[in-house]
Amino acid sequence: MVSHNLLIEVDEKQVQWSENMTIASLLKTLDNVDSCAVVRLNGRLVSSPKFTETLIPDNSKIQLLPLVAGG
Amino acid sequence: MGQINLKEIKSISYKKATIKKGYTDQSLHVNLDASEITIDPIEEKIKNTFIGGKGYDLWLMWNAVTGDTRWNDPENTICISSGPLGGTPGYPGGGKSIVTSISPLTGAPIDSNVGGYFGPYKKFSGFDVIQVDGKAKKDTVIFIDGIENKIKIFEAKDLPIDSYELSETLTHHFDKDKPVNVSVVTAGPGAEHTFFGCLNFSWWDAGRKRVRYKQAGRGGIGTVFADKKVKAIVARFGAISMKSNNPADLDALKRVTKTHAKEIKELDPKQNRMSLVGTTHLVPIMNDHDCLPVHNFKFGTHPESKVIGEEVFEHIFDKGFDGCWRGCTVACAHGVKDFSPFTGPYRGRKVFVDGPEYETIAGCGSSLGIFDAHTILEINFYCDAYGLDTISVGTSIAFVMECFENNLITTDHTNGMDLSFGSRFNALEIIHQMAKGEGFGAIVGKGIRNMKKIFANDFGADMAFMQDIGMESKGLEFSEYITKESLAQQGGYGLALKGPQHDEAWLIFLDMVHNFMPTFEDKAEALHWFPMFRTWFGLCGLCKLPWNDIVPEDNKNTPEPAKVAKHLGWYADFFSAVTGRKSSPDDLLAMSEAVYNFQRIFNLKMGYGTREHDTVPYRAVGPVTVEEYESRQKRYDDQLKEKYKLDITRMTSKEKVAILRQKREAQYEQLKDAVYERRGWTQNGIPTVATVKHLGIDFPEVMEVLKKNGVA
Repeated sequence: MVSHNLLIEVDEKQVQWSENMTIASLLKTLDNVDSCAVVRLNGRLVSSPKFTETLIPDNSKIQLLPLVAGG
Repeated sequence: MGQINLKEIKSISYKKATIKKGYTDQSLHVNLDASEITIDPIEEKIKNTFIGGKGYDLWLMWNAVTGDTRWNDPENTICISSGPLGGTPGYPGGGKSIVTSISPLTGAPIDSNVGGYFGPYKKFSGFDVIQVDGKAKKDTVIFIDGIENKIKIFEAKDLPIDSYELSETLTHHFDKDKPVNVSVVTAGPGAEHTFFGCLNFSWWDAGRKRVRYKQAGRGGIGTVFADKKVKAIVARFGAISMKSNNPADLDALKRVTKTHAKEIKELDPKQNRMSLVGTTHLVPIMNDHDCLPVHNFKFGTHPESKVIGEEVFEHIFDKGFDGCWRGCTVACAHGVKDFSPFTGPYRGRKVFVDGPEYETIAGCGSSLGIFDAHTILEINFYCDAYGLDTISVGTSIAFVMECFENNLITTDHTNGMDLSFGSRFNALEIIHQMAKGEGFGAIVGKGIRNMKKIFANDFGADMAFMQDIGMESKGLEFSEYITKESLAQQGGYGLALKGPQHDEAWLIFLDMVHNFMPTFEDKAEALHWFPMFRTWFGLCGLCKLPWNDIVPEDNKNTPEPAKVAKHLGWYADFFSAVTGRKSSPDDLLAMSEAVYNFQRIFNLKMGYGTREHDTVPYRAVGPVTVEEYESRQKRYDDQLKEKYKLDITRMTSKEKVAILRQKREAQYEQLKDAVYERRGWTQNGIPTVATVKHLGIDFPEVMEVLKKNGVA
C-alpha cells in the first residue's frame, strides 16, 4: 500500500506535493531551472515538451538533469 | 581458431625513448612500399604548435601528401596518435587515439577519435604518433613491441576474415600469457569493399576475459587501411601507472585525476547514468524534442522509439565495468553478451556485441524505421565485425529507403529487395552484401554522394530531389540529429571541417530548446568557441564526455553553464601537471585554434575548404516535401506568420514549403557570413593571412596555399 505523505523528493530535497502538480508547475516554484530541459521522474526520462502534461504522483522522486550536451 | 601464418619480412630493434612530460618526441614511420621502418624526432616548434594527437597527425599528413593525392594513392597516410595527456590511468576518458587519413568519401583529411588501449601502448612503446604510408603487395601485420623494443613487419596468411576474430586471434598470438598487454587495430571485409570502412581498436576486458572493441568510425579510414593491405597494427606494452607519462608534477596530476574521477562517480548516477546505459538515454530525449532521425531525417519522433532506448538497453547490457580506458569512471562502453544473430555467417552462434551507442540506434534503427532492439544489435554486430561505420551505413540505407519509397529506385535495381522503411531483413542483407562487395550492397557502400550520381546517371532518378534528401555534406554522411529547428546546429554540421559529425559542435539544445543564442553573432560565437574547445580533446588524447556530459552540481549557477567552467579549469590543471606548460583555459583554446585553422587550410590544399563546400542538404534545414511540412504544420505556419510577417491564408502547402525554404536558406548563408567573420576567415571561408600569423601557423607552404587561393 502506498502511503500519502504529500511530499516529493527533488534532487534529494523534500518538496511539498499538491494534487494535479505537473513538472512544469513544479519548476515554476524552483530557482535557477531555466536550463532544465529533462528530468528523471521515478526513474523515467521526461523532456520539456512533456512538462506541462506530465503529472507528478505523490511520493515521487525527481532528478533535474543538467544541460543536455549531446554526443 | 585455426593456425595463422605470419612471415617476418622486416624487424628492427630500437632504444626506447624516455617519456618526458607526456611526450616521447619521436614518430614511427612505416613505409609499406619498401617495408621501411624509420624513427624520427619531433621538433620543438612542431610540438609547441601542434600539441600532439590530431595536430601531429595533420602535420605529418600535410608533409606526406600533395594537393593531387587521392585516398588510394600510395602516399596517402594513416596516422594514429594519442597526445601528451593520453594514457593517464584513472583520468576519465584518458586513453583515446586519434586517427587521420585522406578520406575516400570526402577527398580531404578525416579524423576519428577512438577508445581502446592502442594509443597509450604505442606511446609508451616510444612513439607519439605512427605514420603508415605506401602499399603492401601482400597482406601485412605491423607489430610494435614496447616490451622487447622491436618493430616488425609480417606478411600474413590464413588470418580470420572478420575484424572481431582477427583481433582476438592476434591478441592471443602476440601475448598468450598476458592478453591485457596487447591492443590491435583491424579493419575487415566491409572496409575492403566500401568507402566507409571503420577501424576496430581493441582492449582486453579482464573482468569478462575477452577482447573488446571501439571503433574509429568516420570517413572510411578502414577503407584506406584495407587498400594498403594492412590487416592489423598491433601494440604490446606492459604495466602502466600515473608515472608512465613522466608528468611534470605528479602530485598535481594525482589531485586533478582523483577530483574529476570522484565527481563522475558521484554524479553520473544522478545525471545521465552513462556507466549504466551508455548514451542510450539520448534516444527518448531526442525523440521527445523532435530531434531523433526517423525515416531518413524526415521526422523527429516516433511512438515506438521507447522500445529502442535506455528503458530497454539498461536491461540488455551485460553488467560489469565497461571503461574503454583503464579506470575511466564514465565507463560507457557497454555491450550485450550471448547475442544470437538470426542472419549471416554468425547465425545461431552466441556472440558479444560491443554497443550499441545512441548513434547506431538512431542511424540503424529509427532512421530506417526499425524499432526493434534485436535487429539494431545485429546490425551493430555485423558492422563492427565487417569493419563498417554504423553512422554511414545507417544514413546511407535510410537514403536508399526513401529513394525506394519514392520510386527513384525499384526492385529492378535492388535485385528484388523491398527496401521500404522498416525492411529489417533486407537492411541486414545489404550489410552482408557490402562485406562481400556484391549486389546492390556494393552500390550502397559507395556512400550517398556516389549513390546520387549512380541513381541519376544509371537509373534516371531525380537529382534535385536526391540532393535535398541525401544526408551528406562534403561527402560524409550525417550523424544522427535532426537540425531543422536549430540554425546553429545546421552550422555545427555544415561548417564542420571533416563533414557533418557532431563532435565539433553540438548546439541543438542551447539554440533550439533554451534559445541561448538568439542572434547570428551569438550563434557565430558558439560556432567559434565550441569547435575550438572540442578540438583540444583530440590534441591531447582525451574523450570529451567527461567534460560536459556529467557536470558539477553548481554548474547551473555559473554565467555560461554550457562551457562547464569548473571542468575547463581542471583540464588546464591536467595539461599543466603533465606537460609542465602552465596553461589556463584560454591557452587550451589557443592551442586548438591553431590546429583547427591548419586543418581548414589542409582542406583548401586538397581542393576543398571554401564556402561552396560548407553546404548542407535542405533536409537538414527545413521540410523538403509537403508531407514533411504538414507533419509540423502549426510550427511552420506560425513561423511564416510571426517571424516573416507573411499572409499565408491563401497559400497551398506546396507554396509554403517554397517560401519557407527561401527564408531558411538565406538564413544559413547569413550564418556562414557571421561564423567566417568570427573565425577570422574571408567571406569565402578561408583563414586570412592575419589569422594564420596570429596563430603561428604561417609556415611557407601554408602561405603558398593561401596565395594560390587568392588570399595574400
